[in-house]
Amino acid sequence: MGEEKKMTAKQKFFEEIPLFISRSLVSTEVNKTGSWRFVCPEYDEKTAPCSAACPAGEDIPRIEMLVARGMFREAYETILNENPFPGVCGRVCFHPCEGSCNREGFDQSVGIHHLERFVGDMAIQEGYLVPRRSRPGMSSGGGRIAIAGAGPAGLAAAFFLTRLKYRCDVFEAETEPGGVLRWGIPSYRLPDDVLKKEIDRIVSLGVNIYCKKPVTQNFLEEIKGRYDAVFIGCGYGRSIQMNIPGEAMADDGLEFLCNIRKGKAVSACGVAAVIGGGNTAIDVARSLVRLGSKPVLAYRRRREDMPAFGHELEMALKEGVELKELIAPIRMKAERGNIALHLQKMKLAGSGKDGRARVVPDGKKTVTMKVQQVFTAIGAEPGENWYVPPKKQDNILSLSHCTLMDEEMPMVFGGDLTNPVKSVADAIASGKEAAMALDTLFRKGRDAVEERLASCRVGDSGSLSMEIYMEGDRKNRNPHIVSFDEINADYFQPAERKTPRSLSPDESSRSFSETEQTFTKESATEESERCFNCGICNDCDNCRLFCPELSVLIDNTRRINLDYCKGCGICVVECPRNAMSLEKEELR
Amino acid sequence: MKEVLEGSHAVSEAVKLARVQVIAAYPITPQTHISEALSEFCADGRMDARFICVESEHSAMAATIGASSAGVRTFTATSSHGLALMHELLHWASGARLPIVMAEVNRALGPGWNIWMDQSDSLSQRDTGWIQLYCEDGQEVLDTTLQAFRLAEMVNLPVMVVLDAFFLSHTYEPVDIPDQETVDRFLPRFSPRIQIDTKNPCAISQMAPPAYYMEMRHDIHKAMRQVESRFEVVEEEFEAIFGRKYGQMEAVQCDDAEIIMVIAGTAASTCRHVIQELRSQGEKVGLLRLKMFRPFPTKQIRQFLGETRKIAVIDRNFSFGLSGIFAHEIRAALCNHDKHPPVFGYITGLGGRDVTPEILKEIYQITKATPFPKEESVWVGLNKN
Repeated sequence: MGEEKKMTAKQKFFEEIPLFISRSLVSTEVNKTGSWRFVCPEYDEKTAPCSAACPAGEDIPRIEMLVARGMFREAYETILNENPFPGVCGRVCFHPCEGSCNREGFDQSVGIHHLERFVGDMAIQEGYLVPRRSRPGMSSGGGRIAIAGAGPAGLAAAFFLTRLKYRCDVFEAETEPGGVLRWGIPSYRLPDDVLKKEIDRIVSLGVNIYCKKPVTQNFLEEIKGRYDAVFIGCGYGRSIQMNIPGEAMADDGLEFLCNIRKGKAVSACGVAAVIGGGNTAIDVARSLVRLGSKPVLAYRRRREDMPAFGHELEMALKEGVELKELIAPIRMKAERGNIALHLQKMKLAGSGKDGRARVVPDGKKTVTMKVQQVFTAIGAEPGENWYVPPKKQDNILSLSHCTLMDEEMPMVFGGDLTNPVKSVADAIASGKEAAMALDTLFRKGRDAVEERLASCRVGDSGSLSMEIYMEGDRKNRNPHIVSFDEINADYFQPAERKTPRSLSPDESSRSFSETEQTFTKESATEESERCFNCGICNDCDNCRLFCPELSVLIDNTRRINLDYCKGCGICVVECPRNAMSLEKEELR
Repeated sequence: MKEVLEGSHAVSEAVKLARVQVIAAYPITPQTHISEALSEFCADGRMDARFICVESEHSAMAATIGASSAGVRTFTATSSHGLALMHELLHWASGARLPIVMAEVNRALGPGWNIWMDQSDSLSQRDTGWIQLYCEDGQEVLDTTLQAFRLAEMVNLPVMVVLDAFFLSHTYEPVDIPDQETVDRFLPRFSPRIQIDTKNPCAISQMAPPAYYMEMRHDIHKAMRQVESRFEVVEEEFEAIFGRKYGQMEAVQCDDAEIIMVIAGTAASTCRHVIQELRSQGEKVGLLRLKMFRPFPTKQIRQFLGETRKIAVIDRNFSFGLSGIFAHEIRAALCNHDKHPPVFGYITGLGGRDVTPEILKEIYQITKATPFPKEESVWVGLNKN
């Protein structure tokens, strides 16, 4: 009892309610649990399927991440690393990116092209400049390059070569630069000022564009010695003929579009037959709607065989364009002020080598259309035969988007002339590939070109990344393309795809003003938040939050504290976007 | 201020007033309303607490253990299968000496699937080292929840506040909700005796070899032994502020009773009426309403039941192959006592079946008419074939 009295109240309490539990006396940090590890997590950024599908190889998951954060300038700079035309491509590209978007497996693909357009327009509106890019060991004072044709291919070549410190002169036959963007694509799809601002930006880098200067073979002879290389991106300027009786009565579709863009008077009245199934045919038909006539598309195969981009055709049909399938023109005849267009009915006959349906005449069945105008848009070919690179020569290197001819003055043929897919994005890709090929040729010689380009592929696709070529961070990306199965979809909520406001078919069919509007900042941010950011780290912090060993450290960048990482793999599983991998541990 | 509250929400209000800092819970009928209200309190800022959504009751208790180890006041609620799923971690919580408070809504276990009142779930957790307190009405639920935090933090043991499914959880009654300032006087901020600290990392609850384990268990026992007296202290302080007191158990008209009916939970209220009626007919009957089940209040059991002639224990639970659990515990408490009246065991009201005044009267009559209890429990109110 006497002893008990000496105890303080606190001591008594502790005596009565003892609290003996197991607890280490020293820091648990002495136990380096990293020694238990037999698999090791690592930050392993991978390739998004959209980037691989993009002919220009844009870093789409990163662009969307930056837009989501409101970092529009940085998003613009990221696009610019791979494509100098975000405003243009956001409008006219056929966006294969969206077709391969992993979000498609969840709800709907991300509106990547709307977002690209938003970023492009933001750059124009805010007057963002072209940031300087440099890479390790890049010296100034590269050579001089002559570029034939100021279309998307030539301008892209000029842009990338200038960024690689070459001096570029662009020679253009027309009165203004832009090529098909300026003269072929109607303004309701691509307004003049967007194109002009984006070309101005290329000029601001110091590119000289000489208009009304067609490049001839003589000219090429003249400039030998003044230039170190030439890029030929002259496009398909000459329309293909139908070769049928009475063809003289038909108008050329490309020329018609060009005249509209030049502000020349064009006639459009009554019913107009538009022959063809490509994008030009659609553009002609939609322009005719706007000019007040009633166009009928006549196509020799079926709707699903049309080379025109699906969404363009859909818009055309909504605006009132009529489509007649499986008919081919055979004869045209004047008939009391109208044109009698005789067409052969066609039928399916298996499929051709290219996988498309093959059609043959369906006996002697014909139809006659009484129309007021006929437009042809059945394809185009190079304006001059020498625009196309010669085949099979020792000094010829056929690349994915362009062809390099290694001569005293090396020549690169690009754009529609060499591209398997004739699109603006592919034209830009060929300009970029040409820039990389020439730079490698000058620095390392011809034998190094193919290997160097192969190392700049985005995933396993044909698209190339200038950012990888310039040895930016992107070169550390694993080429593995992230699939939907590799996304931890538990971390995403279904959200409807946003579309910007657009004119109703009724409104749009009455004017050449742009049909579709640009996203507002709010909708752009919301839509970009739908992006899974496949394969890249967007600092969501899941790895750190879930790590049971507190082994994820953030100093300048994220890293794993291998002293304590047990290799449980939770971080890898909880990464929503497959930006981490688990590798077998090297034996120690 | 008096408000008409559901029993479940009496718990939620108490948890809010207790300034709980972390709640981790998983919904299960009939507990859901408790955590539902709390999640709303957390969401709209009425509570400054973190509500952790988990994917199971096992994780709910695990998260609560984690938070409690970090030295914050924690709460969870569950019922039936949810409690069964927590079983492993119930041992962990008491073994780690964490003062977690849990509301446990008494519900039957399946199959057959049954969401109604039954005491089997909480009584199955008898040996997990949790203090168990059974409530009779909404006010007691609110008051006991507040007291539970004081008690748990005093002895470093977890407390289960038990309430009947639907009869209490979903029944609306007027409940006096105290104001925050008064509650703060009764229940100060939690100052933990043990607490993990990321600045000084150490391992806790790790291996305890044979040389130590037994002492740790003995300490839990020592702390449990303090619960009865500490509960008295808590109740006295509570009474001084709020004017209400419940006791480890409540004896109603037991002094001269020849038969004492023993019962826990809401059926005790029915029993209060029944003994009034029987008394008016000249029967010498009393009621002992049990509140504290763990630690088992042996001393008071002996005191209140030692002098009577017969004890009728009404269990809304059953330990298969033996007896009703309350009856058996009372037999054990009296067995080494010099006064050991016979204990009659009755099973009734399982799986939500009503315990009506008629049933209670029948139990009284059987007890009165039978000189010695049968070895087997008597099941009352079974359907007639």
